[in-house]
Amino acid sequence: MSKPNDTFTVNIDGQILLASKGLTILQVAEENHIYIPTLCAHKDLTPFGGCRMCIVEVEGMRGFPTACTTPVEEGMIIRTDTAQIQKVRMEILQLILSEHTSSCLICEEKEECREFQGTIRKVGVTTGCRYCSKDGQCELQEVVEKLRLRQINYPIYYRHLRVEKDDPFYDRDYNLCILCGRCIRVCQEIRTANTLTFKQRGCYTVIGPAYDRSHLDAGCEFCGACVSVCPTGALSEKTNKWEGEIEQKTTTTCPLCSIGCQIGLLLKGGKVIGTLPAEDPLVNNGQLCVKGRFCITELVNNFHRLKKPYRTHDGIKVEISWQEAIKLAAEKISACPAEDFGLLISPNCSNEDLYIAQKFTRAAIGSHQIDTSARVFYGAGFNAYLDLMKMSASLSDIKNASLVLCIGLDTRFGRSVIGVEIRKALKKGARLFTIHPREHNLALIAEKWLQPVPGTEVDILNTLVNLSEEKRKAAPPAKSKWRIKSYEDELSGLVEMLKKAYSPIILLGSEFLQYKESPQIYEAVRKLTQKVKAKVLPLPPQNNLFGSILSGSYPELLPGGFSSTEEQRLKYLSKKWGKNLPAFSSGWNAEKLLAGTKLKVLYLIGEVPTGFRPPADFIIFQNIYPPAPFFEADLVLPSAAFTEVEGTYINSEGRIQRVRKGVEPPGEALPDWEILCRIAQEMGRKGFEFSNPCEIREELSNLIKGFDEREIDERKINPLICEGKFVVSRSGLPIKKKDAKNFPFLLTASSVEDTYRGFPLSLWVEGAKKLFAEGILEINPEDAQKSGISQDDEVIVTASSFEETWRARISKEQPQGILHARLFPFEKIGPNPHAVRIRKKNA
Amino acid sequence: MTEKILFKYIDQPDQYKIDTYIKNGGYQAVPRVLKELSPEQVIDIIKKSGLRGRGGAGFPTGMKWGFVPKDSSKPRFLLCNADEGEPGTFKDRELMQKDPHQLLEGIIISSYAIGANLSFIYIRGEFAFEANRLEEAIKEAYNKGFLGKNILGTGFDLEIKVHRGGGAYICGEETSLLSSIEGVRPLVRLRPPYPAISGCYECPSAVNNVETLSNVPHIIINGAEWYAGIGTPKSKGTKIFCLSGQVNKPGNYELPMGTPLRELIEEYGGGIKNNRKLKAVIPGGVSTQVLPVTKVDVKLDFESLIEAGSMLGSGAVIVMDENTCMVETAYRLVQFFEHESCGECTPCREGTYWLSRIMKRIVQGQGRMEDIDLLLDLCDNIFGKTICPLGDSVTIPITSTLQHFREEYEYHIKNKRCPVERK
Ligand SMILES: Cc1cc2nc3c(=O)[nH]c(=O)nc-3n(C[C@H](O)[C@H](O)[C@H](O)COP(=O)(O)O)c2cc1C
Ligand code: SF4
Ligand code: SF4
Ligand code: SF4
Ligand code: FES
Repeated sequence: MSKPNDTFTVNIDGQILLASKGLTILQVAEENHIYIPTLCAHKDLTPFGGCRMCIVEVEGMRGFPTACTTPVEEGMIIRTDTAQIQKVRMEILQLILSEHTSSCLICEEKEECREFQGTIRKVGVTTGCRYCSKDGQCELQEVVEKLRLRQINYPIYYRHLRVEKDDPFYDRDYNLCILCGRCIRVCQEIRTANTLTFKQRGCYTVIGPAYDRSHLDAGCEFCGACVSVCPTGALSEKTNKWEGEIEQKTTTTCPLCSIGCQIGLLLKGGKVIGTLPAEDPLVNNGQLCVKGRFCITELVNNFHRLKKPYRTHDGIKVEISWQEAIKLAAEKISACPAEDFGLLISPNCSNEDLYIAQKFTRAAIGSHQIDTSARVFYGAGFNAYLDLMKMSASLSDIKNASLVLCIGLDTRFGRSVIGVEIRKALKKGARLFTIHPREHNLALIAEKWLQPVPGTEVDILNTLVNLSEEKRKAAPPAKSKWRIKSYEDELSGLVEMLKKAYSPIILLGSEFLQYKESPQIYEAVRKLTQKVKAKVLPLPPQNNLFGSILSGSYPELLPGGFSSTEEQRLKYLSKKWGKNLPAFSSGWNAEKLLAGTKLKVLYLIGEVPTGFRPPADFIIFQNIYPPAPFFEADLVLPSAAFTEVEGTYINSEGRIQRVRKGVEPPGEALPDWEILCRIAQEMGRKGFEFSNPCEIREELSNLIKGFDEREIDERKINPLICEGKFVVSRSGLPIKKKDAKNFPFLLTASSVEDTYRGFPLSLWVEGAKKLFAEGILEINPEDAQKSGISQDDEVIVTASSFEETWRARISKEQPQGILHARLFPFEKIGPNPHAVRIRKKNA
Repeated sequence: MTEKILFKYIDQPDQYKIDTYIKNGGYQAVPRVLKELSPEQVIDIIKKSGLRGRGGAGFPTGMKWGFVPKDSSKPRFLLCNADEGEPGTFKDRELMQKDPHQLLEGIIISSYAIGANLSFIYIRGEFAFEANRLEEAIKEAYNKGFLGKNILGTGFDLEIKVHRGGGAYICGEETSLLSSIEGVRPLVRLRPPYPAISGCYECPSAVNNVETLSNVPHIIINGAEWYAGIGTPKSKGTKIFCLSGQVNKPGNYELPMGTPLRELIEEYGGGIKNNRKLKAVIPGGVSTQVLPVTKVDVKLDFESLIEAGSMLGSGAVIVMDENTCMVETAYRLVQFFEHESCGECTPCREGTYWLSRIMKRIVQGQGRMEDIDLLLDLCDNIFGKTICPLGDSVTIPITSTLQHFREEYEYHIKNKRCPVERK
């Protein structure tokens, strides 16, 4: 709030207006609905003053100051629209247009042209004037129309720059660029990714990464912020080029990771044609990562989407009606003994879906055999991770932190909005430390990057814990002293800083989630957090992991975080649901599924646990995309995607957020909860008479805190309360002594975490294929040379428990003696690290 | 003629060595300033001396220092502008090459005056020899205790860093110089805030030209009154004029402000080459207006040149004889600015391109009469509408040649050839 003496009056075009110190002439004019044409100014960016469109006259000032850069002063007399100004603006606009193809701007036929052309693309080819895909949504066009420019006195000068289409997701045609610098500023100031700059000078100036690198090499996060602010058609999104103006916008929650960014679905003709970040101060502050910004449109529109139910007979696909499908499912399930039924549901599903799925399993079938893939993902560390989730800080704590310690976090593509928040903190003077075994984007900006040899990260963390215990002597555990020797000083320094920092925060990424020692790692993180009084924010890749826990989508957990062993609660639910729930016994779960335990009926909702047919007599596959042919599902049911349903997710902070329906599902696809309810009703079960998610939430709100409609709209944070515990397989095995002779290398593998409902994004999204590489083995150049391996060779990797073949990618960033594999989606080789040896295939 | 100040020992082969410099009376101002004067007193002396910037704009130096806040919690910087990019200017180079300690002494005193403990010399990239010489001189000064921690036991610390430029004319503009020192593209910055408040790394900074700073030790030693006694009432002291073009003896001449142009050309420059006739002069570097021969009696100082319709600028006097085509000259200058426009703002970026295209067409005999008005219109659209003064400079060669030599343009257009008969 400005102090009263910072408020004064100015005179704009004869109007006496209230203004306050620090505002620019442009801001004051806009507040008062006085139009000043602008091109380079943008409300979220620092003034640049380059385009010179916004010139005004100020009494007592020489020449023509620019409104966007000139701060108002008390008593200023400003004129925005004199004949002289109009003339100069017209001239400047002409100069801008002299190097911008402009038939779309000043062509006499443009009105007719717009009205009578059916397909823009074809007309563009024949008449050569419809080359800009942003026709109709271009700010330059708007300014030209507002100033009523009809003619350009300069010949048009076409720069003949190559249209850049090589990078994923967006194209760049700098022949249309007016050098307003907005893209550069948004990348520097808001994203702080610093990918772009002006190159060359004078009339040869172009935009791009310095030194002619590709965007991919220059560290571009493909966040699309630059595309959003470009006032011309120079930057355009590949997927919605030529789509024209949108008809409607719906705000919803992105399901591609647990941050739960608020996105605007851009709708046209009953289709999602794009997504933009919503201005949401609670979560993503107008930012998105590449997944939310660019992947969703293709993901939900891909023509492979399932549209009708079908069943397979001896490998032959037969489309059936919903009625038949529901009947078949009900028959099979009714005939199946409770202990031979298993339901696996994706933590990408909404709370409503998850709740109904577990109610279906428990109340309709009388079993606890419901699970999600998260169990396999977190393995032995699931309980320890759960403990961390209970301590979750809020996202806004990041930008206010004075010290940020990132553990296994990379924010380049996924979670890049976290990267933006971290950099905000750095700008305010915070210190950044990162622990990660490989080169990652934070390494560049961190004060210190601790790079553990895989398998020693737990020692680093335990040392930090020990050092933080005041009285105890600061010595690392003896057995592992050698492993962290080089870090001793840094570690004690870091602990000192952590202790002194007034608002430290620890962010936990994905890297160490799938390590043998993950339980110990999370445990150490928890202790460290408590010892140094830091905040902690685990950032799981599963967007609704929180919801899957609270809704009771695990054998061990009942809705509300109660343990399934708690008889009192079981009785309560039995009464509520009108069905006697069985006592809990650890039967089937996702791990057993992978281990080969056979079922009579396996029901998969949004999960693709294996690459081949899992062991079951009858498999119901309910998803938005079909299974691979060799998966051999018996009954395939088409689900609606998140853009087509109403519901809620809970993000990593514990915030319940709404999912809103933007479009109808394709073909006959239905929401998961509805399919489940119909099957249950067909089976004659009571308690599934829901006609919309709202009714489900009403039931939910009696069992779980926070689900009252009013509370949901407040979007408050509800810390995770969960009394139950997972039954996990034996806690992580310590890594075996390195058998240096047979297995000279250490291998870590990361499986794709960029998935939706069991499918990797790269399967359905063209651009994602370029960013998220799979089936690749990263190897240090010297190691490669010694083993006779060159780029793109096929390499056979052998461990005591597996043998796999991947393509070599030689990378200087990979430390010597350590390999890294990026796994195909369904590949599972067990927790990291592995001792391996390598050889070239066919050598 | 009065005595030389800056160039007094310029012809002594060893003047660049610290011992010779000290023997000739150097490094006497530093102890006096550090031990006897407060920063305010130094600024006062410079204000009283009437010293004005020699980099082009002629802003009073003492006043500029006075704008640097004294109570800022941020560090302050003194930046020496040694980019010398203005075509026709070559004075700073000689000063740095032959008398580097004179500059260093000036920097030490000026840094003390504004409270800077770190100073950068931003030197044009091409000046490799001078950069090395400065580095050596700085080393010598450290060894003698004139630089580093606790200079001469007075508690004043100063480091000087030589920063070699990336090679663009725009880097000499003071705000892009700041960007360039910070290691980013030399983008011109918006003012306000002025560098004195938020300059290098957003800290208070003063930017001064090499020649300006070289004057400082002499003013301290000889007093403000002495300096104010040289030159004209409003332009004090001497000025180094870089005489070039078709004269017999081109070179740097240090003369009191107010010396007539004719005297510089005829007496010092030895008159026009090959006994040709003088046609025109650019008196202050290519960013200043061309003067026709009729103005040859103008006095070389800030005010007189403005009165004559030009500017003192950097003091680069470019002499053209009767064999010079003014249209081609203007075209050549426009090409320079087209090449050097930074591209940040529309009128300059696009305008220089079109000016150069139209000029080319006229020079090649393909011009039209309307082109002259188009040129003037364009110039009008650029002048005063750009972020930095480079934009204004672009228009100056065209408007001033059109003002004085319009008939040459018309001749080019009508007869499709150059009017100048080369003798
Ligand atoms: C385009 C442009 C180029 C300039 N180049 C130089 C230069 O090369 N050297 C210089 O000393 N000043 C140059 N200046 C002037 C500086 O901006 C600034 O006024 C000067 O360094 C201030 O020093 P002074 O007060 O000592 O003159 C240039 C100005 C402009 C607009
Ligand atoms: S996509 Fe994002 S990171 Fe890449 S250049 Fe644009 S703003 Fe910068
Ligand atoms: S690409 Fe777009 S945003 Fe970037 S400078 Fe060009 S017109 Fe402006
Ligand atoms: S006037 Fe020219 S040099 Fe100056 S900022 Fe504008 S484009 Fe750059
Ligand atoms: S909008 Fe003000 S200069 Fe571009």
